[in-house]
Amino acid sequence: MTDTRVPSAPGAAPPGGESLAQRVLRLALTERVVLLAVLLVVVVVWFRVLGDGGYLVAPYDVRYLGNALESMVPFALLAIAELFVIVSGRGGIDLSVGAIVSLAGMVFGLMVGEWGWPLLPSIVACVAVGGLLGAVNGALVAYLRFPALIATLATYYAYSSLALVSNANAPISTPPIVALHSLTRNVHLPLLPPVPLHVFTILVPCAVLAWVVLSRSTYGRSLYAVGTNDIAAGYATQPVTRTRFTAYVVSGLLSGVVALVTVAQFASARPDAGVVGNGMALPAITIAVLGGVAIQGGIGRVGGVVVAALLVTWLNAGMLLAFEGSEGSQYQLLALGLVLVLSALLNTLALRRYGRLA
Amino acid sequence: MAETITEQDHRALLRLHDVQKRYGGVRALRGVDFEVHAGEVHALVGENGAGKSTLIKIVSGAEVADEGSVEVDGAPLGGGSTQAAMEAGIATVYQEPHLFGELTVAENVFLGRELLAGGRVDWATQRGRVGELLEQIGLDRAIGDVRVADLPVAEQQLVSIAKAFAHSAKVLILDEPSAILTDREIEVLFGVVRSLRAAGMGIIYISHRLDELAQISDRVTVMRDGEVVATRPTRSLSVRQVAELMVGHELRADTADRVVPTGDPVLDVAGLGRSGAFEALDLQVRPAEVVALYGLVGSGTDAIARALYGIEPADSGAVRVDGRAVRLHTARDAAAAGIAMLPGNRKQQGVFADKSIAFNISSAHLRYLAKFGFWFDRARERSLAQGFLTRIAIKAPGPDTAVGALSGGNQQKVVLARQLVRAPRVLVLEEPTQGVDVGAKEEIHRLVLELADGGSAVLVISTDLPEVLQLADRVLVVRRGAMVREFGRGASQAEVLAAAAGDNGDDPTSVAADAEGAPT
Amino acid sequence: MTATTGQVDQAPPVTRRRPRVRAIEGQEVALIGVTGLLWLVLSLATDTFLTSGNLQNILFTVAPIALIGIGMTAVIVTAGIDVSVGSQAAVVMVVIALLVRDAGFAFLPALAVAVVSGLVLGALNGLLVAYGGIHPIIVTFGTLNIYRFVALQIFGSEQVAGVPGAFAPIGGGAEGRVFGVPVAWWLTLVLAAGMWCYMRFWATGRHLYAVGGDAFAARLAGVRVRRRQISAYVLTGACVGLAACVLIGSGGLVQQNVGAGLELRVIAAVVIGGTSIIGGRGTVLGTLLGALLVGTVTSAVTLLSWPTELTQLFIGGFILVAVGVDLLRERRRSAR
Repeated sequence: MTDTRVPSAPGAAPPGGESLAQRVLRLALTERVVLLAVLLVVVVVWFRVLGDGGYLVAPYDVRYLGNALESMVPFALLAIAELFVIVSGRGGIDLSVGAIVSLAGMVFGLMVGEWGWPLLPSIVACVAVGGLLGAVNGALVAYLRFPALIATLATYYAYSSLALVSNANAPISTPPIVALHSLTRNVHLPLLPPVPLHVFTILVPCAVLAWVVLSRSTYGRSLYAVGTNDIAAGYATQPVTRTRFTAYVVSGLLSGVVALVTVAQFASARPDAGVVGNGMALPAITIAVLGGVAIQGGIGRVGGVVVAALLVTWLNAGMLLAFEGSEGSQYQLLALGLVLVLSALLNTLALRRYGRLA
Repeated sequence: MAETITEQDHRALLRLHDVQKRYGGVRALRGVDFEVHAGEVHALVGENGAGKSTLIKIVSGAEVADEGSVEVDGAPLGGGSTQAAMEAGIATVYQEPHLFGELTVAENVFLGRELLAGGRVDWATQRGRVGELLEQIGLDRAIGDVRVADLPVAEQQLVSIAKAFAHSAKVLILDEPSAILTDREIEVLFGVVRSLRAAGMGIIYISHRLDELAQISDRVTVMRDGEVVATRPTRSLSVRQVAELMVGHELRADTADRVVPTGDPVLDVAGLGRSGAFEALDLQVRPAEVVALYGLVGSGTDAIARALYGIEPADSGAVRVDGRAVRLHTARDAAAAGIAMLPGNRKQQGVFADKSIAFNISSAHLRYLAKFGFWFDRARERSLAQGFLTRIAIKAPGPDTAVGALSGGNQQKVVLARQLVRAPRVLVLEEPTQGVDVGAKEEIHRLVLELADGGSAVLVISTDLPEVLQLADRVLVVRRGAMVREFGRGASQAEVLAAAAGDNGDDPTSVAADAEGAPT
Repeated sequence: MTATTGQVDQAPPVTRRRPRVRAIEGQEVALIGVTGLLWLVLSLATDTFLTSGNLQNILFTVAPIALIGIGMTAVIVTAGIDVSVGSQAAVVMVVIALLVRDAGFAFLPALAVAVVSGLVLGALNGLLVAYGGIHPIIVTFGTLNIYRFVALQIFGSEQVAGVPGAFAPIGGGAEGRVFGVPVAWWLTLVLAAGMWCYMRFWATGRHLYAVGGDAFAARLAGVRVRRRQISAYVLTGACVGLAACVLIGSGGLVQQNVGAGLELRVIAAVVIGGTSIIGGRGTVLGTLLGALLVGTVTSAVTLLSWPTELTQLFIGGFILVAVGVDLLRERRRSAR
């Protein structure tokens, strides 16, 4: 048949002779990390200026920013969890991460606080429980072909219910659990402000590991291929079902890690740790999308997600100082919502203008 | 030839005069004259690339002619808008019906133009109209209230026709409607087409199944290389004659320099079958041999390819590669057995469009390119991709270019490169050059022959007849899921086409016999 | 050569008799069966289930979920989703609570304000989905946060206490009943019936299914895809407005976290009711039954004095079973 191919995407033409401003615009629209980095600088500078002008209730200084990282850890980890499942494609999403945090945390609480297990096996078991709960999601989505949104909505209900029932809706905070709080103490390193310990012991290793898996391992390649086009991935001899299943297991494992973190932060295993209020899943998904993860699958990087988490954290921290009382936390909601919608609009714009996503 | 359908109204419903169309440097249509009368079924046949689909696109408003005129019932058609063409009375029914499964037949027929009674759909009237329509085209009027998803595909197609009928189309284009239908369903389709003809509609019937033309069409127009080579009353032509008009001057393939392959078969298929698709397939491909499976759309050749690659496994029979029995339940099994496959639908099954060339080439070789089993060696990936860029002339700035930004031909080369990384023992190619420019086509052919020369077995599955004859040492013709004929080198296009299109004039087991045109 | 019409009649119709579109779908029958069975078992197992007080309570608590579910069904049928309904409800509730308490609004004007503010919030979602080219789940995750912010701003950092019972006519008390059935439930029934007819008989209602089935093909056929999308979100907003009035019920206290998690309960009811999350299929009747099943389970867990937290486990289980059955049916259908 006569070839009526459309001319290649507009982005294909090598951008020759564009001005510096055009180049920055193109990079900001097509490279999400660049855009986020620019925004991060703007946010920090803006709050510094506000602080110097006396508009903040406390100094927005390096020490404060270091401290603020404590709240970043769970959300950055869960956003990375969402990165794995959203990249896996076919409407991938995990609404149950918060519920897994609650349930795995309660299991950990029972092991350490009630059954008197030693710490190390309990930690391993907690993460394993997370992985197991993720595997249930993965089996439903990858093997039984449930739509991810529905499968994880159902398990969200089931897991959070089990977490609440597990200890008759009561938190567990026996002495060994309270002692865990020291895991989140600030550490003083040379040249750096005091930073919560688990940023180094948990967040950084997990993020690096996730980066290695996604960007440098054969599994990561396979996952991007499956998420981009699972039929083509099948023809390219990739184990499509198993790869997608594994993404949900990883999401569960990371949720198990977050369960540990929250238990340590609260010095107690709380049955509603991950589902109170809007829960943890929604902010995690928001950060992931802000970090450049495309909801249709196959696109998204650890770097973007971590920078997005940092941006949201420092933006939130700044707004807590900019307003009296609970106003600050309210404006955090506004900022999160606006940033999410605007970054998605930006994706649309980038797609129309450059033929590719940021 | 004199007109024979004197009892019909001779009014031309559709008239194309001197229509020309170019795509870049390619002249897709070179001054086409074409007419469809009221009450006529006009068959349009031609090889892939002859210009049929360009013609249809212009008539249905999807494309605008560069020169020439298109008139519908005496009024010029503006072109460029499918909506305008629809309003002028042109309706097109594609092979895959565009229907909404959850809506009923009646709703699908009237979607977007419901008969209203004050905002509310006038169900009684609408149901009555649909009932009439369905009866008129020979369907049970009760199916008006059935959800389309509950109908078999054949009837869904008839519903599309009913839809065209409901909007008082004057000219109906049927684009290979029979390709996916069973005999019985085709009977019903023909009944419908005949009644539309009786109602005074003009019907353009596109088909590769030349055997059915005599049953359904009044006139045949044969196209070749963007030109109309003949318009004749159907009954004045035999299948063989139509096939000869389609292929024109015979180009006897010029690959005599290839050595006749010998040795034990690399690929040995015995009694392979998959219920509903194909059965009892026997096939051997020797080292350095190129074998083609040729069949029309719907003949089952694509299912054979998928079975050999483990995508849709066969349910009977055995496959041996280099004498070893292999199990082909997944594509991984096939790859482990040394079988590679270039899938037919590049966009859906081939490329990862927004990923780089390097990503696309390496995607089937992740373990092969890994260190310690898991660490992906990006340097090796890059040098591999870079090597292919130069070796097979992929036109791209570098291995990091997104494949979606390349032309169809270059995309296809990338997907082919993926299959060549580890010189497979058996390469299955499905439509290797569809939607690919001439230069890329030659390049792809060269690569395939090069691989064969290295001792691999190549199985080409293509509906592009000149390609099949040019590449293959042997051509096996498949019809309705069964092997019907085998041809050696030097077979003519016309005889292969006639065999595939259902000319059963000769002994189906004869090999490379020059068949005489059979009476139809 | 030319065929006569007579030949047509000889061609045997391929069609066999097969089920037509029925007033009630298989899944709905199954839901009625399951709910009926539960009611039977509960009536036998407890003394308290089959009392008018308990049944009234079930119907009243189910009403807001079912009301929002009416709109949500339309949204999901168009292959969309709206996770912002909980925040929308919070905005509407705080607005009308303050109007009733501080500005002395009466029932009807307050109801009108509620519906209109719901419409506006829904319209914003609809516009972003239809014109922004953004996936509905992203849009509504965003507006979930934004609307919650708006609500909290109006709350002014404290809950609204001492709301008078202006909404008693549709509240949970004795005033809010006609023939012993809560008015909120009558309202739900009337609206659901209207929507059921709209989605079944009106041209634009049927277009919702076409949009969810294949938006591109629908546009080619002349369906105004964007308009239908927007209308579905706007309708959901209006439903949220009504549901907010029911939730305020007999007045009293409106807390800041009101409506949190509502979206998931509504989506659960819709999905249990047989609406496909991929779009193109679903009915309001199913949603109503789904909501009723959820309400029954909630009540059952309480009456059997099981831990109330188990309710969610059952809801999760019902979602999996409902969708699983549906998937099996689809697979059988496509295997043909």
